[in-house]
Amino acid sequence: MADYDRRGSGGDSSYNPKKRRYRDDDEHDRRGPRRRFDAPPHVRVRKQLVAIAENAMRPWHEEAQAIATLFTDNWDDELLRANFVDLILQLAVEQPLKTPFTAAVVLVANGARPEVVDLLLGKLAALIEGKIGAGEWREVKLYLKLLACLQGCLEGEGVFPVLEELFARAVDLQTASSEDTVGTEIVKIILLTLPYVMVAAPGQWAQKAADLMEKTEIIASEPHTLQALIEPFQPEAGEESQPQSLIGLLQTQLQSEASNGWALSCLPRPWEFPLEEVEQRSKLDDAAKHALPTITIPQTVIAGPRPLFPEISFSVYANQDVESVPPLTTAAASLIRDALLDTINVLHFNRNITARHLIDLDCYFAPRTFAARATPFDKLRDIEAPKSTWKPEDVAVDAVFSQLFQLPTPEHKLVYYHSVLTEACKLAPAAIAPSLGRAIRHLYRNTTRLDLELASRFMDWFAHHLSNFGFTWKWTEWVDDVYLSDAHPRKAFIAGALDKEIRLSFAQRIKNTLPEPYKELISAEMEKDMPDFKFANDDTPFAAEGREIAGLLKRKAPDEEIDAVIQRIQSQAIDREIDALVASTDVFVTCVLHVGSKSLSHVLAAIERTKDRLADAGAASDAARTQIISATMAYWSAHPGVALSIIEKLLNYSILTPETVINWALVGRAGNSRGEALSIAHVYEMVFNTVIKVTGRVRQLVVKPALLPSSDTDEAETRDREIKSMRALFAAIEDALASWATGSKDEMMEASEGEGDSEGEKLVRMWGERWRRVFRRRAAIEEAFLVEAEKERARKAEEAAQNGEAEAEVVAEGLTQTMDTEGEAVA
Amino acid sequence: MRGPRATVERLDQPSAYFNSRDSWTSQNKRRRFDKDQRDGDDDTNMQAEQPEEDPLKDATTLYVGNLSFYTTEEQVYELFSKCGEIKRLVMGLDRFNKTPCGFCFVEYYTHQDALDCMKYIGGTKLDERVIRTDLDPGFTEGRQYGRGKSGGQVRDEYREDFDEGRGGVGRAVHPPPRTRDYDDEPGRLK
Repeated sequence: MADYDRRGSGGDSSYNPKKRRYRDDDEHDRRGPRRRFDAPPHVRVRKQLVAIAENAMRPWHEEAQAIATLFTDNWDDELLRANFVDLILQLAVEQPLKTPFTAAVVLVANGARPEVVDLLLGKLAALIEGKIGAGEWREVKLYLKLLACLQGCLEGEGVFPVLEELFARAVDLQTASSEDTVGTEIVKIILLTLPYVMVAAPGQWAQKAADLMEKTEIIASEPHTLQALIEPFQPEAGEESQPQSLIGLLQTQLQSEASNGWALSCLPRPWEFPLEEVEQRSKLDDAAKHALPTITIPQTVIAGPRPLFPEISFSVYANQDVESVPPLTTAAASLIRDALLDTINVLHFNRNITARHLIDLDCYFAPRTFAARATPFDKLRDIEAPKSTWKPEDVAVDAVFSQLFQLPTPEHKLVYYHSVLTEACKLAPAAIAPSLGRAIRHLYRNTTRLDLELASRFMDWFAHHLSNFGFTWKWTEWVDDVYLSDAHPRKAFIAGALDKEIRLSFAQRIKNTLPEPYKELISAEMEKDMPDFKFANDDTPFAAEGREIAGLLKRKAPDEEIDAVIQRIQSQAIDREIDALVASTDVFVTCVLHVGSKSLSHVLAAIERTKDRLADAGAASDAARTQIISATMAYWSAHPGVALSIIEKLLNYSILTPETVINWALVGRAGNSRGEALSIAHVYEMVFNTVIKVTGRVRQLVVKPALLPSSDTDEAETRDREIKSMRALFAAIEDALASWATGSKDEMMEASEGEGDSEGEKLVRMWGERWRRVFRRRAAIEEAFLVEAEKERARKAEEAAQNGEAEAEVVAEGLTQTMDTEGEAVA
Repeated sequence: MRGPRATVERLDQPSAYFNSRDSWTSQNKRRRFDKDQRDGDDDTNMQAEQPEEDPLKDATTLYVGNLSFYTTEEQVYELFSKCGEIKRLVMGLDRFNKTPCGFCFVEYYTHQDALDCMKYIGGTKLDERVIRTDLDPGFTEGRQYGRGKSGGQVRDEYREDFDEGRGGVGRAVHPPPRTRDYDDEPGRLK
C-alpha cells in the first residue's frame, strides 16, 4: 500500500491514479510508452467482477475461481474486503444478468474465507428488509435472486422462510381486496425466485417448492380486474388466443418444470465444476454453511414508488412456423424475459450498455440455450431437433418490444426503449435489423387488432427508428395498401408514419425514399416552405381585411387599428348571416399564424403579443374558441405537427381549454368527416396529448405534499376542482365516442342509407371502439391512481399523527373532507 | 446524494467541456479531480466531502450541438418533445447572416426531462446527423455563446473536412462560400 499512497513518485510498480490527469492536462507530454504496472488487487477484483461472464470464451467456473482466489489471497487488503461485498450487492441490482456468476464467486470464496459470506448475508438481509419496507419490489426480487443463488451455502431451509412469510403477506392483501396488485407482485417475485433456489441447491427442495406452489396457485390463476383493460390486442368476437397474465403463465410453467425434476435447462450453473476438478468440487460441498440473519417483514406492505399493474405476456414473434423465441409453455420464456426486463429497466442511464447486454444475452444463460448469434430466420428451419432454434436477437428485441407495448405505461419514457433498439441495431446491424423487420411486419399485419394507444406508439417508434437509419424501409411490400380507403387502419398507419417521418426530416427527403405509388400521399403543400395565406386570394371572404390585419400585426400596430378591422369583419359577417365572432376569430388567428409562419419561435412570439385578444376571442363563445383550433389546423393542414405544437401552447395560455380540443376533434372534426377523422393519427395525438396534460396536472396536485398544514384546505379545494374537471373531461370523451362506436351519431345515421353496414361505417364504428378503449383505460388508471394517492396521504397523515404532532390533525381532517367529496363524485 | 459510483457509466453527466470552462475555474480543480476518480478503476474515494454547489444540479436546459445548418426548430421540437414538454427553444444563429449555425438550446420544464434527454437523445440522429447534448446552466438573453470571428461556431473555423450540412468546408480555411440562404432551401418546413 505504501507504493500506492506515494502518488506521482514514480515507483515502478505502483498504480498511479494521477497518471490520467497528467495526460489530460498536458497534451505535449513527451514521455515514452506507458509503463506497465499491476493494478492493486481491489482494482483488479472490481474490474473482473464488473465484467464477469462477458467473455464467452472463458469457462465460468474458471473465471469464478480466479476472481475468488484473487480475493481470498488478498484477504488482508482492507479496501478490497470492504469493496468486495458492496460490489456484489451493487451488481445484483445494476447488472442482474450477472447475479448467478457473482454468486459463484462468493460460493468459491466461501471455501477459503467463510467470513465473507456472513459479511455479505448481513448486508443482504438488511437490504432486503429495507426494500420490502419501501415497496421497492424489483430490488427485493433482485436481492432475493442473489440470495437464492447462495441457497447451497445457507443453513436450514435457507431462503424458504422468507418466501413463506412474504407469501403470507400476499394472502392478507389478496383477501382484503380483489383489486390488490401488491400481493400479485409478491407472488410473482416468489415464483421467479424459486427456480434459482432449485438450480443453486439441486434435488433438495422439491417438496418445499411444491408446497409453496400449491399455495401460490390460487393467487396466480386469478385474473386481475384491470387485466381486460391492459390487453395489447383488442379482443374480437370469436377470437382464439386469450392473452394470459404473466403470473398465471409462470405458475403453469413452473408446475411443468416441477414435474420434470426442475431441469431448468436455460439457467446457468456457474458454481458447478467439471467432474475432473475433484478437489474444487469437494471444497464446495464441504464449505461452511451460514445462517441467514432474520429478515423482518412489516405487517403491512406497500405498493411503493412504482405503480403496479397486472402484467400480460407479449411477443411479436408468437405463432411463427419455427420457434425463434421460447414458447410460453416453458419456464425459459418467463425467466429469460424477466432477467432481460430487469436489465433493460435498471440500466436506463446507459442505453449503450443495455444494448450490449441484450446482444450478449447468450453469455448469461446456459450453453446451448440459443441458436448461434445472427442465424438468419430461414436457417432456423435447418436446425435439427434437440438443438435450440431460439434466436438470441429475437429474444432481445421481443423483450424491448414488450416494454414499448406495455400498458398502461412502461417504467421509462418510450423514447428510452426506442434508443435501446437503435443502439442494438448499431452494435449488430446484420443480426438485429432482420429481427426488427419481422417484428414490424407482425405489428403491421395485426395493426387492426392492436390497441390504438399501442398502434400510435408503434407508428411513433417506427418513424423515429427509421430516422436514425436513413429512412430506409422496404415500402414496396405494402404497396397494395396504398389503395385502401383512408380509414383503413393499415392505410392510416402508412399516412401517420409518413407524417411523423416528415416531421423529423422534410417532405422532399421522405418522398425520395418512397416507391412511386406512395408519392401521391405527399402533396405539393407538404413540400412548401410556408403554407399559402388564404387571404392573398381575393376570392376568399374577408381577403382584404385579412391582408390588412396581417400588415398591422407585422408592423406591430396599436390595438385600436386592429379593433377597427375586426369590427368591420363582424358587421359584414352579420350582413351575410354568418357567426360574426367565428368569422373575425378565423381571420385574426389565421393572420397571427401567417405572421408567425417562419418558425415556431416566430409564431410563439406572435401569440405572446396577441394573447389577450386571442383569449378574449376564445372567451366570447364556444364556437369562436373552437374556431381557433379550426383555423390553426386549416392553416397548418400540410404540417399537422406544427399545428399540434401551437395548440399545446394555446392550452398553456388557457386560450383553449381541454374541452375545446375534445369538442373540435370528436364532435366537429369527426362530424364533418362522418367519423372518418377518427382514423387520422394526428387527431388522436392531439386528444391524447391533451388528456395527458390534464391527468398529469391532476397527478402533480394529488401527490404534492402539503407544505403547511394550514394551506391544506386550499390545496384540497384546488385538487377537488381539478379532479372534477378531469372526470368531466373523460365523461365528455366517453359521450362523444360512444355514439361513434355504436353508430348512433346523427351524421352516421343520416349518411347511411338504411342498414348502416357499408364498409366505411363498419370502419368508423371500429375506430370509435378503439378510441373508447384507450380513454376508458386512461380514466380507470387515473381513478386507480387517485385511490393509491389517497391511501398514501392517509398513511402519511397517520405517520404524522403517530409522531404526536399537533398539526397532523389538521392534515387528517383535510383528508377526510376530500374523501367525502370524492365519494360523492363517484356515486 | 449520490451513492457509490455505478458499475456502469452514466450518460446523464455533464461533459468535460462544461467542467473545464473558464467561467467555472473555481470549481474546475475540484470537479476535474472527481472526474478522474470516476474514470479510473479505483474505489478509494467515495466522495468524502461534498463539492461546492453544482450549477447544473437543477439544470433544465441543454446545449444541442452538431446540428445541420438546415435543421429547423420544428424538427428539434419533434424529437426533443419525446423527453417532455419543451418550455423554450433557442436556435443559435450566425451573428451576421442570422441563419442557423448548427446549435441550439432546448429548455424543459423539469430537470428530470433534461437528464432523460441526455440519456435517450444525446448521441442519436436528428436530420441524419448524430447530435450532441450537454447540460447547460441556462440560456440568458444576450449571452454570447461560442461563436467566432466568422459569426458562426468556432468549430466550423477549424474544421478541415467537407460537411455539407454545415456549409461545406470550414470557414477560416477558405473564405465563406456563398452561404445558402436558409429561406431559399427548397422543401424545408419552417
